Amino acid sequence: MHPLFADVRKLLWTMAAWLLAGLFVAGLLVTAGMAGWGRALVFALPVVLVFGFLALSAYFVCRSLPMARRRWPTVIAVFGGASLVSGFAWLLLCQAWNLAGASLGEERGFIDMTPGATAVFFSAGAGLYLLSLFAHDVLIAFETVREAAEREAESRVLARDAELQMLRTQINPHFLFNSLNSISALTSIDAKGARDMTISLAQFFRQTLSLSEQEKIPLADEIALCESFLAIEKTRFGRKLGHAFEIDDAARGCRIPPMILQPLLENAIKHGLRHLDDGGVIAVRATVGGDWLHIAVANPTAPDDGRPAARAEGNGIGLRNIRQRLAVLYGERARIGWERGAEAFTVEIALPAERGPA
Amino acid sequence: MTATLRALIVDDEELARRLVREYLRSHPDIEVIGECDNGLEAAKAIGAQNPDLVFLDIQMPKLTGLEVLELTGRRSGVIFTTAYDQYALKAFDHHAVDYLLKPFSQERFDEALAQARKLAAAPAAAAAALDSLVADGGEKLERILIRDREQVHVIPVDKIDCIEAQDDYVGIHTEGRTFLKRQKISELEAKLDARTFVRVHRSFIVNIAQLQAIEQHGKDGHAARLRSGKRIPISRAGYERVRTMI
Repeated sequence: MHPLFADVRKLLWTMAAWLLAGLFVAGLLVTAGMAGWGRALVFALPVVLVFGFLALSAYFVCRSLPMARRRWPTVIAVFGGASLVSGFAWLLLCQAWNLAGASLGEERGFIDMTPGATAVFFSAGAGLYLLSLFAHDVLIAFETVREAAEREAESRVLARDAELQMLRTQINPHFLFNSLNSISALTSIDAKGARDMTISLAQFFRQTLSLSEQEKIPLADEIALCESFLAIEKTRFGRKLGHAFEIDDAARGCRIPPMILQPLLENAIKHGLRHLDDGGVIAVRATVGGDWLHIAVANPTAPDDGRPAARAEGNGIGLRNIRQRLAVLYGERARIGWERGAEAFTVEIALPAERGPA
Repeated sequence: MTATLRALIVDDEELARRLVREYLRSHPDIEVIGECDNGLEAAKAIGAQNPDLVFLDIQMPKLTGLEVLELTGRRSGVIFTTAYDQYALKAFDHHAVDYLLKPFSQERFDEALAQARKLAAAPAAAAAALDSLVADGGEKLERILIRDREQVHVIPVDKIDCIEAQDDYVGIHTEGRTFLKRQKISELEAKLDARTFVRVHRSFIVNIAQLQAIEQHGKDGHAARLRSGKRIPISRAGYERVRTMI
């Protein structure tokens, strides 16, 4: 649909402008001595108005030739042809309308259609249509530029938001400060342990920073990050934290978005293992089936006693975050689902299996 | 004359507890009488041993630090510790309650200890601050904790049918049983989500999710019938309140 039709006010203004043009044409006819004011107006106004609408069809002609892919010969042919056709069509319309006037009592129609007049009408029609084509081209160009600028601004905002979100998930305050506190304690109990933990912590954050800059990473890298993470957490939780990873060789090379698995492990500890007297084991499995990579994370949980975290409140935000990220990257082709069983919490992710250079 | 202060250390991470022990070595007048690694154990230990001082972590398994205080009724001799907790810290600052941010230094620790010793000499002021902190809590109650001798009952708020005032206590009716808790009904009303729990009567709060019907009672009174069959009276003001909710 022509953009003008979307805005009633603009449409009315345009029609008013064409009516004015019609008046102008009538005036010309009178000056040329081809008719009196009355007949000139009756003739000119309707046909000019119709031409106004005809000229709007130029929008579709311009649209049919995308600017990025235009070639001069095509443009000349199409624009020229359209103008000629329009000029001709309008001429026919004028003549038909004029003859209609004949049936209303005027001998030879509203005005005297001389060959000269015919030529003028034709040229005017074709010329004005050509102008309309150029005008529409300019308008479309403006529109394209505006849309592009808008899209760019929007994507910059989105990118910044995503970056901020990434930073927030990377620098998990609880994890950071509790780890530092553990190191502080270890300095007088076990100096070597303190040093090891300092190095593990630095390594973890370095890995996080480097991985999160990339759009996709091999699953093996994410697993390495998780192992760094768990090494640190084991120092804090001791025997309460166990882990069992079963990663298929085929799965190791698959490319996935970074920081998908590590937050799940964090949740498993924070909402699951911590609340169990004897802790438990986090189980992670990754397999490739057909074109799909399947990742499953499971951990035991304490019975639901109304604690907000037990109701997956805290879990929910992180999981929905991952779901959103997957949707942005994979659309409908990625799935994440989670379920709170009586004694365990499981998360399952399915992604297209992308094998890349490992 | 310095009497020995008996202290309890509560934190779910062993290293954190060891750190507190280490910092306490330069305070010979403080004796560590026990350690707990979750809120439930802490509540029991506080009830059984009544320590002079408790080092209390906020985020813990089973019960949070604030829930421990609420349950035990303890309102003095507490030093809170936390790694990071935006919401809790705002409340703490608001009620002028001191806390230690992990990781903390020996100096910071000593400062908090000095403050606690001072407050021990003027327990009323300290109690007021902790009172308002525990009462405020922040977010709406998700569960009610009741101490029953050695046991602690945890009642998820959505399993409550109704609450009945009984002098200084409230009776919490849930799943066919009734639990008594020493609390004023108006206090409880303030902490419950007003969209679910409505004070329909001077002595009754009802969970509208458990409401089966509202019936006429007497000439122009009303009564609520719950899914469990129990009927509770509705006052005129209560009727206005509950009418707008359904």
